[in-house]
Amino acid sequence: MIRIALLEELDPSDLTFLTRSLYRAFGLGTEVAGLRPSPPHPERRDGRLDAVALLRTSAPVRAFADDKILYLTTAPLSLPPGPLGEPPCWGFAEHGKDRALVSTARLPARGLSEASVEAFQRRLAREAIHVIGHLWDLHHCVDARCPMHPSWSPHLPASPEMDLCAFCREKSERKIRLAKT
Amino acid sequence: MRGPSSRHPDEPREQLPPVEGFISDADDLAPGIRVVYPNQGVCSVEGIEEKDIAGQKLQLVRMRREEDGAVVLVPRAKVPTVGLRRVATGDQIQGVFHYLAAQSDDPELDWKVRHRDNADRLVGGGVLGLAEVVKGLHSLSRLRPLPNKEREQYDNARHLLVHEVAVALGTAPGVAEDYIDYVLVPPTGVKFDVPPPPAPVMLPSRPRRHRPVAEEDEGDLADLGLSDLGLDLELDGAVPAAGEAAEGGGGEAAGGRGAAPAEEGGGPAAPAGEGVAADEPPPKPRTAPARGPREKPARKAAAKPARKPPAAAPKKAGKPAREKPARKAAAKVSPKRGGKKK
Repeated sequence: MIRIALLEELDPSDLTFLTRSLYRAFGLGTEVAGLRPSPPHPERRDGRLDAVALLRTSAPVRAFADDKILYLTTAPLSLPPGPLGEPPCWGFAEHGKDRALVSTARLPARGLSEASVEAFQRRLAREAIHVIGHLWDLHHCVDARCPMHPSWSPHLPASPEMDLCAFCREKSERKIRLAKT
Repeated sequence: MRGPSSRHPDEPREQLPPVEGFISDADDLAPGIRVVYPNQGVCSVEGIEEKDIAGQKLQLVRMRREEDGAVVLVPRAKVPTVGLRRVATGDQIQGVFHYLAAQSDDPELDWKVRHRDNADRLVGGGVLGLAEVVKGLHSLSRLRPLPNKEREQYDNARHLLVHEVAVALGTAPGVAEDYIDYVLVPPTGVKFDVPPPPAPVMLPSRPRRHRPVAEEDEGDLADLGLSDLGLDLELDGAVPAAGEAAEGGGGEAAGGRGAAPAEEGGGPAAPAGEGVAADEPPPKPRTAPARGPREKPARKAAAKPARKPPAAAPKKAGKPAREKPARKAAAKVSPKRGGKKK
């Protein structure tokens, strides 16, 4: 089961689209766990929230074994700088564990037109599948059409797909089959 | 450090220089330290325990894989040979990132060589070997989709690299993977100005003479007509050689075909060896069959078996090479017999 916890309000239609996309990608039931309070004093870097710290300090959600929890926020996120710079951050996941975080700050503007809303929803679903995939031990994929491809890649198509590539799908299914529950 | 196991029992294992941080003595494995087990990942040493296995008392080093808590037991005597090494240092990690950010070479296109080299790098190449596998297969994936086996190898290498970088930098694996891909697939407009990467991992040299598959390949190549190309190349060399033999070879011939002229240099040796071939009628060039109808049938029959058998023989082992000319001869004769019967 995938449980979606909101750190800020999101449009219900976006959440509906998201739950459907996650169910289609992983074959797991997905439900919205409601709004959770943001951490009182989140660590900030250049006005952005530290993704690792935010995920660590987010309010817990009641879950069973092998449940995956996805936190959604609208705040811009950052990662600690690495040896050659700081990678852009759309979200963060604890590899092989149960909590992930996605921000809508870097997504295309939602807008009002049907096309812009759809582009926003598709990109949100793509990033959510990406971080949930990390929770199932998936690594970044070389296939630019796969949601597990790095989010900042210049090879990313304008309208990213939401279906995992054959290799990632097979691996995630294997991991899900081997899960305790 | 020993290289990977030799493919053939008669070949001795090649002694490669050990990777940095290589652990050659079990006494170095104090409880609590972190080591990297090749193809398994980062493990923490828990201690040494004694077990009775098949009537023998063995001292085993007990390690626990950090990723999932799996227990790894290594006989104390085998510690120098399994390729245990310490977790990469900060300098090594810097070198890895410089390597990943550097301009990539053309990937090896022969999948057999590539797969074997990558397997060697994963086992004995250290953290830089992991980076080489990841970068090599990543750059190859830009050219064409990876086959499933190599896709798995790529995924394994990436998994090991991510976890080792994460442990070395003290970050979460998710962040370490973002660091790696930020360098491998930089966003638009981002360029890295990095110092030259460290020297690549040394791999054991593989003799090619023991590869039966390669022989089959040669057979297939011969079917494609490439053996004719080699024949032409030999001919090119033989023509001047025959000329040399005609010019100054008389003296040598008078002196006999001793080893001395051959040892003087490559030039005289070649005429001595190929002079015999030069005396024979030179083989027809590739265009000879096209000119066949103008030639006498006897010469045509003599020329055809000389060229065809090496091409046909390796392809189908069950059929002897001589059958083809025989069949052809039979096919040529059969209409005559039929004619006689009529």
